[in-house]
Amino acid sequence: MNLKISALDYVQEVKTGNISAEDFVSKTLEQIQNVDDKLHAFLSVNDKAVDQAREIDKKIKSGQKVGDCFGMPISIKDNMCIKDSKTTCASKMLEDFVAPYDATVISKLKQQDAIFVGKVNMDEFAMGLTTEFSAYGPSKNPWNIDCVPGGSSGGSAVSVSAFECVASLGSDTGGSVRNPASFCSTVGYKPTYGLISRYGLISYANSIEQIGPLTRTVKDTAFMLNMIAGLDPNDNTTIDNQNQDYLSNIESGIEGKKIGIIKEMMGEGIDPAVLSATKDAISKLESLGAICEEISLDMVKYSVAAYYTITATEAGSNLARYDNLRYGYDFPLEGYEFNSYISKARRNFGPEVTRRMIIGGFVPSAGHAGKYFLKALKVKSKLTKEINNAFQKFDFLIAPTVPILPFKIGEKIDDPVSLFLVDINTVTANLTGKPAISIPYAISNGLPIGIQLIADSNNDKSLLQAAYALEQTVSLPEVPI
Amino acid sequence: MVTEEEIEHVSKLMKIEVDDHKEYVDKVHAMIDYFDILDSAGVESEEISMPEISISELREDEHIPFDEKLIEKLNHYKGTYVRAPKMSS
Repeated sequence: MNLKISALDYVQEVKTGNISAEDFVSKTLEQIQNVDDKLHAFLSVNDKAVDQAREIDKKIKSGQKVGDCFGMPISIKDNMCIKDSKTTCASKMLEDFVAPYDATVISKLKQQDAIFVGKVNMDEFAMGLTTEFSAYGPSKNPWNIDCVPGGSSGGSAVSVSAFECVASLGSDTGGSVRNPASFCSTVGYKPTYGLISRYGLISYANSIEQIGPLTRTVKDTAFMLNMIAGLDPNDNTTIDNQNQDYLSNIESGIEGKKIGIIKEMMGEGIDPAVLSATKDAISKLESLGAICEEISLDMVKYSVAAYYTITATEAGSNLARYDNLRYGYDFPLEGYEFNSYISKARRNFGPEVTRRMIIGGFVPSAGHAGKYFLKALKVKSKLTKEINNAFQKFDFLIAPTVPILPFKIGEKIDDPVSLFLVDINTVTANLTGKPAISIPYAISNGLPIGIQLIADSNNDKSLLQAAYALEQTVSLPEVPI
Repeated sequence: MVTEEEIEHVSKLMKIEVDDHKEYVDKVHAMIDYFDILDSAGVESEEISMPEISISELREDEHIPFDEKLIEKLNHYKGTYVRAPKMSS
């Protein structure tokens, strides 16, 4: 049984009867058992997955209508609700929280007969970019287990990269899908803001976060988008994508397309191997007929500060609900006054979440909002204008997804500002609502490098076409697990 | 420059209690100090743009019943009420 196949190949193999969903899901669970002690991608595994796959095989055999996934094993970041399953957000605060309903993306995938093999690790409440801030311990990078896998959707990227599932859903607030995709050599997609419903995603920073797929190939990402994108009455920020088919014409190529090389994402602090891979990718795109030119986006250098100011503010508000009365863990009420009980109970938040909530209370507060929060919103507005102007001239923008290679676990954990700057190339797409994708491009000293392409809002389909064209120029070694 | 007292005051307002105060204060301090870079962005005259959704585009303001009694899932649900800590006198 080959667990390394793409989602589309899996569907084809099951459809034609070459493999059964039950066998494949069963082997996937074996793979989780074999490698996850070492990698720690999963926080919980669905022990009913094989039974569910067997039911799908029965449907296929009896000629009933079967959903597009045909029992495909998918992992889900543990901040999305699956009814009657634990949803911890990798936090002690929600250790025993069982979701009472399905997120919209989950309902849609259930309708298409996907099998959820388990919930995967992340930084607590999605605040981080290494998974080191998970309350249940970090995930490890399958390419080098001493290194971080990226984050916050680190478990998603590890599980796809290490063949513990065929595809995964993560969420991307400042690069949390694209960063781990780059570090683990998978495709990672952040759609146009509003393309995918956030109903049932545990909120961190609502104004910029999006759910996105992590897959082995660009075509698999298009396949996933076909199933999960579109309007949702439960999320009024969703946009009508007219049921667009992201797979059709994906092989259209990029001849004649104009690509802007973002100067501010290629400069100071970039690893020479990452710079060299990006220049190589640009040459490949030119050889495919694209026209590449440098472009400057002045506000990029302020984007990380604006991003952390805005997200901390929204997090401070969103996380106020965790008072241990509405959600929480078993902690007796006796002996506490109301406020001291809540303060005591909230000690179960990990250190990064605690720090960001303090910041989230500080930067929008009276006397400080003008200096921090309002200025951050102004940077966001100006950055949006700059990127909209860029898209008057260019079809796509390009930059490395992350300016550095995956680093050692523990290396940056005590230096918050140096961690901030790892996000420098990804936050722009979130602050401006644009779609962006990380494509696995190179391996340097055994560590993956991803290339990021960004498109204008609602141009997700053409972005996938460009990403597919770049992907076809690459042949990478297999992950050494 | 942010002071330690200001950070402590905000922590209290956010209902956050921490053990190793200095650890938190130092890191929060470093993070907020980094945000000073926003002062040199030159955006003072910039308008803040916010997405707008007209009321007609929102769904009807109707009660949508949920098929389970969520209140029963609360840790301190006592059958006819939810127990909460006493308010200070």
